[in-house]
Amino acid sequence: MLLNRRVSQFFFPSLTPAFMIRAGCIALAAYLIFGHLLTPFWIKGNSMEPAYQNGEVNFCWKLRYLFSKPRRGDVVVIRFAGQRITLLKRVIALENEEVEFRNGRLLIDGKEQNEPYLRHPCNWTLPSRRVEPDSVYVVGDNRSGPMQNHVFGQTSLSRILGGPLW
Amino acid sequence: MVNPVRNTGKSFNPAGRVTKKIPPTGKPPMIPDRRKIKYVLIGLGLIAIGIGIFFMFFQSEEKRVKKQFRLLSEGVSKETGENIFTMDQKIKKIGSLFNDTCDMAIPAHSLSGQMTREEITGYAARGRLHLAELQLTFHDFMIAFPQEGEARVRLTARLTGRTTTGEAINEAHEIDCLLKKTEKKWMFNRIEVIEVLKK
Repeated sequence: MLLNRRVSQFFFPSLTPAFMIRAGCIALAAYLIFGHLLTPFWIKGNSMEPAYQNGEVNFCWKLRYLFSKPRRGDVVVIRFAGQRITLLKRVIALENEEVEFRNGRLLIDGKEQNEPYLRHPCNWTLPSRRVEPDSVYVVGDNRSGPMQNHVFGQTSLSRILGGPLW
Repeated sequence: MVNPVRNTGKSFNPAGRVTKKIPPTGKPPMIPDRRKIKYVLIGLGLIAIGIGIFFMFFQSEEKRVKKQFRLLSEGVSKETGENIFTMDQKIKKIGSLFNDTCDMAIPAHSLSGQMTREEITGYAARGRLHLAELQLTFHDFMIAFPQEGEARVRLTARLTGRTTTGEAINEAHEIDCLLKKTEKKWMFNRIEVIEVLKK
């Protein structure tokens, strides 16, 4: 009888002022946390394999770059017009650096880079280009497809929303 | 000896006389705090419902602009096995959303320069032939009205689907649009794709 009452109280609580205030506080906290600090996102596509698989769920930690700039090797979340649709890419070059792909190998300022996160073979060749100030150069980890079909390039730092939580 | 008088909550009336209750004058009758909060909450709830209903039925300019994007999305989207009549209707619908001429800057689809309404519908009709299915959705609207009869919209457009050869389409673009109001209708006047990643 008591259990029944408790179950019914849990699913159909009486709308007392105290309950309304509690529910309001929880809703506000959830809105602030999941709307502004840790926004959930769903990965669609395989451009970041094997680090991030298609269909996975993650959270964008918005305070990741509050006091620092992205570093080479960081995975970042890039926005379009808003935050509903974003891109997940890896930073491979920072501002004022020369970036180049030669037969699939990444060269920064002419020096070959070690990329332990790559698993798929790559044969990309991209002439050298300098990254503009306040920008970073981002690429996906899965470079097995043709370069023309892959979404990558230089983006402004202001477009970086944060980084994935894990 | 004086016996202490216990406070029993009843007024002292040894004769048991019936007395008329006189309401206190000057002060309004007291309402318990809980009831007060309840009334305030009910009031706030009613105000919120009222505001919600107002915004639901009130056709603001922003809603009218968004409606044009919804119509464009419906016109561009294609379902598997779409018949020729549906296609014709959709092409006509797309044409009715554009001004006589529209400035296009969509490098990913080799569209640039000023195009007439007929050119746009022709391009849309040809493009559909290579697609088995297509969905166009718009997100993150930022609408501004820089001057009377002009709406500037910044948004994200997402294209998903597959070609007739089975190749998957999954694109997202940031778009800047200019719509002009002609005869109480918002018409597309300029569509430009913003480069988010510069190769």
